[in-house]
Amino acid sequence: MTALTVEGLAKRFVTKHKQEGLAGSMRALLRPQTKEKIAVHPIAFTVQEGESVAFLGPNGAGKSTTIKMLTGILHPSEGYAEVLGLCPWKERQRLAYGIGSVFGQKSQLWYHLPASDSFELMSRIYEMGREDYRRRRSELVERFGIGPYLHMPVRRLSLGERMRCEIAAALLHRPRVVFLDEPTIGLDVIAKQTIREAILEMNREEGTTLFITSHDSGDVEQLCDRAIVINYGRIILDDPVPEMKRKYLTYKRIRLELEEPAEEIELPGVEVLRAGGTALELGVRTEEVRIEEVLGAIVGRFRVKDVTIEDPPMEEVISFIYGKLGKEGG
Amino acid sequence: MRADTFGESLLSRKWHKYAAVGRITVSSQLAYLADFFIRTLFLVVIIYIFMQLWKVTYEGVGETTIAGYAYRDLIWYLIFAEAIILASPRVNLTVEEEVKSGAVAYRLTRPLSYIGYHYVAYLGEAALRLAVNLIVGGLLGVLAFGVPSFGWGWGAFAAMLLGALTVNFLLRMALSLCAFWVEETQGLVFVYDKLLFTIGGMMLPLELFPDLLRRVCAWLPFQTVVYFPSKTIVAFDAAQFPQMLLLQWVWVIPLAALVGWIYAKGVKKLNVNGG
Repeated sequence: MTALTVEGLAKRFVTKHKQEGLAGSMRALLRPQTKEKIAVHPIAFTVQEGESVAFLGPNGAGKSTTIKMLTGILHPSEGYAEVLGLCPWKERQRLAYGIGSVFGQKSQLWYHLPASDSFELMSRIYEMGREDYRRRRSELVERFGIGPYLHMPVRRLSLGERMRCEIAAALLHRPRVVFLDEPTIGLDVIAKQTIREAILEMNREEGTTLFITSHDSGDVEQLCDRAIVINYGRIILDDPVPEMKRKYLTYKRIRLELEEPAEEIELPGVEVLRAGGTALELGVRTEEVRIEEVLGAIVGRFRVKDVTIEDPPMEEVISFIYGKLGKEGG
Repeated sequence: MRADTFGESLLSRKWHKYAAVGRITVSSQLAYLADFFIRTLFLVVIIYIFMQLWKVTYEGVGETTIAGYAYRDLIWYLIFAEAIILASPRVNLTVEEEVKSGAVAYRLTRPLSYIGYHYVAYLGEAALRLAVNLIVGGLLGVLAFGVPSFGWGWGAFAAMLLGALTVNFLLRMALSLCAFWVEETQGLVFVYDKLLFTIGGMMLPLELFPDLLRRVCAWLPFQTVVYFPSKTIVAFDAAQFPQMLLLQWVWVIPLAALVGWIYAKGVKKLNVNGG
């Protein structure tokens, strides 16, 4: 079953337009001028139930506008969308029971109260039966490992502890589609890992559809099967994550530890990123030269103590995609 | 999704929903309890000033009653009026902040009425603050005049509080929701507060007003918030009471419609233009 269907969905905003300076302000007051701004060009995609999709793009690309349309907050200027078989802006209240949302920078927990109180409120808002609620709560408490601080006031929790409670609260009513906006922002490595594992488990075990926006490449690599990249209000890429990596990972990094200090090295398609003493770091454009050739040349010339070959971090891949496809598309 | 709702009616689910909002608001506001008690210092000071002022006035006039109020009844009236005014949560700040920050949009994704949520939260917080104000104000009154015998007045007062708080909430909400269009609602709410102080009867019972002004006040909703409950408790009138109660709820209907209308307009703007 499809969880999300989007067809020709577009959004234009009318914004006030003002000339600079005091005179401009006065004129704007008397005769306001408006200008139409296109936030999202007609876009189309579908997401199957149980899929985990990264929705990526730089700031101002149209990500949150799209999510607001899919949750029924914004009405589109044209086009059509269906979430769990419902039209979000026409059946927002009904849809509300089936979706959940986590906005990393907006807390839904009550600050002075323990998270358990917020859970109780959520269970009432989503009209859960008491028995069902208790079962579900203990399930989530275990999964997110929040037992020890469930009864502590939220204001005393660390950001990582709080985020785990936030996400558990958003999942309480068993939403079938979850919108996660920067779920790991500001967290340390371990907290990020815990949260990703718990989210992934939900996705695998309960078939929860995930729609994630994030600037964190780790979120994309570890949580998502598929990536949709949007820029200037257009979809510029819609690929499975491994395929995206293959297509755009045309670059590898070789780190070498040599027996003796390296001399000059010059090979086509290879650039020296760092050279100091016995350490050498090379960037290889795999479209121009095969990695074996580079390794062969190195082994022939130096005595190698240690070698590692790495993919560039996801961030670089994504910013590369923004740059390359953004220009082509826009 | 909705599960395990077997045997539970729609009405009872809705009731539980908003009751839970009320409960959590009260629990959360309990964190500010000490703060509420400190604020009552203001109540004590202002009542003390009123006591001195009216003492001189009564002595100056040389009568034991003014417009039907004995000195001690008048002070009790002012204690209740102040208690009600100072109990009102500043819902406009919350709503304005939510509209500006866009948080109102995210609230729309929950199966909960935005106005209903704020109404229950308002009642919860107001009830807690009012209880604190009544304890401190009441203590002050008892110290000055001994235990009062308001008889039916107590029950009538309690019955009128809900209407008074509801009208107060609706008027504040109507002004707060203007945040969808104007940058600041503080100014509007400031004017409203001053109207409550004056023609709402917080500074003076309306009987003390000139006849013409009284007749104007009778056509306005402000009297139902402060004057009605305060007057009812100190000078209970079995004939007037049902009329006042009815009038409160008669005001609730158009005001609720007004709030609903403004809110719908605001949401429409939000839907179309992102707020």
